[in-house]
Amino acid sequence: MVELKNISLSFGEKLILENVSFTIENNLTTVIVGPSGAGKSSILKIIAGLWRPDSGEIFFNGKDIFKMCESEYQTMRKKIGIVFQSNALFDSLSVTENILYFLPERKSLTDHELKEISERLLNFVNMDGTGDLYPEELSGGMKKRIAIARALAFNPKLILFDEPTTGLDPLNSASIIELIEKLKESGTTSVVVSHILNDVVELGEQIIVINDGSIVESGRIEKLITSEDPFVNKFFYRLIKHDRIMKSSYNMYELVNV
Amino acid sequence: MTAFRNLIYDFEEFGLIIRDLLSGIKTIRDSWDETLTEMYLIGSKALPLVLLGGLFSGVILAIETGHQLKIFGATSLISRTVSLGMVRELGPVVTGLLLAARTGAKNSSEIGAMKLSDQIDALTAFGFNPVHKLVLPRTVAALIMFLPLTLIADITGIFGGMLIAYQTFQIELAWFWDTAVNALKMKDLFVGFAKPFFFGFFISTISCYFGLRTKGGTTGLGKNTINAVVYSSIVILILDFIFTKIVWEVL
Ligand SMILES: Nc1ncnc2c1ncn2[C@@H]1O[C@H](COP(=O)(O)OP(=O)(O)OP(=O)(O)O)[C@@H](O)[C@H]1O
Ligand SMILES: [Mg+2]
Repeated sequence: MVELKNISLSFGEKLILENVSFTIENNLTTVIVGPSGAGKSSILKIIAGLWRPDSGEIFFNGKDIFKMCESEYQTMRKKIGIVFQSNALFDSLSVTENILYFLPERKSLTDHELKEISERLLNFVNMDGTGDLYPEELSGGMKKRIAIARALAFNPKLILFDEPTTGLDPLNSASIIELIEKLKESGTTSVVVSHILNDVVELGEQIIVINDGSIVESGRIEKLITSEDPFVNKFFYRLIKHDRIMKSSYNMYELVNV
Repeated sequence: MTAFRNLIYDFEEFGLIIRDLLSGIKTIRDSWDETLTEMYLIGSKALPLVLLGGLFSGVILAIETGHQLKIFGATSLISRTVSLGMVRELGPVVTGLLLAARTGAKNSSEIGAMKLSDQIDALTAFGFNPVHKLVLPRTVAALIMFLPLTLIADITGIFGGMLIAYQTFQIELAWFWDTAVNALKMKDLFVGFAKPFFFGFFISTISCYFGLRTKGGTTGLGKNTINAVVYSSIVILILDFIFTKIVWEVL
């Protein structure tokens, strides 16, 4: 669906991304992991068209997006939604107004139809009956779900999530992960930035490990926990340890039950 | 040298905002609700300020010129002085400065807070131009509202001058009002009514510009709000000078 080729970006002297290349496959959840400051959000901002890389190419369904004409580019942009790390809800608007803000056909619909759409979206993210509240009245997890509903109203083919579960309790995190899985079933592709190992394991069908602006390893989780790369080893240490514990307790269980 | 480069960069960025603003003029139809809200906010919140500002400018103008004119026994000229001074200079400038503080600070801090919480990026990412969505309604609202507010300042100013003239210099009220209004020529009205449009345009665009380029957290927000008010005020004073100069030399 989207292919990044040799993307590099720097701010002044500082190199933020260096030769980043990977492909986001249709209906395959891609998880980008890495430590703070590695350049994860920067990658999303480039895919969302907020920043332009210094060099490199991006192909959307095979077409170079920097060579598209304006109308082609706008059509492409309408297929990509984003959920910001900070949610970025409009704090002067109610939940319903926030959700309907980016709805492409908003102008041509009746109030009744708009209400129906917002109720359907609120139901999808398990936030029934909150339409009249304002963002400041919502908890972190609720805000995140409204931000997701707002992105969904846009009806995108690809949604970019920047750390969707950071700062949420395990129950809220689980519900966000469920939402992303539900999206996959309905045919929406997700790219999720995270440094929470649990998300990586649960969602990642393709995992990109990034450190200091470049990709150090990518692939499925099985490949990563057996990687030779010292950084990947360190990053996934807890997971690898956990994996061994699980295996050894399984062995004990077998021993006891023999 | 870097300061100079930054200045050039600032002008360039400001120019881009003006370009976007003009190219998006047709999208105002989509933001009509926002425009009405902004008009209401400018009008309702600034009205008390403008009434006070206008009244006291007129009062002070009458007191100061009255005492000077009295030396020459020409206190009958107070009405002319007050009405010309208010309509041509003090009305527009005092209103402009008050609105630069009020509307300028509001625009810049509001948009700046949106910038810091990624709301501006959200607009861009979902295919909206933040200049069309935020700067255009605010600028159109300013263009529409600044003239009536200036008129109100003019009238309260002349009214204030009239009270002082009556109380301190024993000039009859009705006579004062008549001569004050008759003193105003087409040229004066043109100058006095053209200024608010320019002031409104620049206050709005400058303050929105500073809002949009906010970075660096709360400190940055504070700094940009200060800059918005300072630069809008300076621009008003400079524009006023240019206007006055042109009017005396050309018209
Ligand atoms: N607007 C900016 N100007 C200059 N440098 C920036 C800017 N935004 C990000 N950076 C720098 O780019 C690097 C990568 O930032 P980025 O936000 O992509 O990291 P991240 O991997 O998302 O980190 P985190 O997990 O903390 O969100 C950081 O070193 C950061 O300091
Ligand atoms: Mg980030």
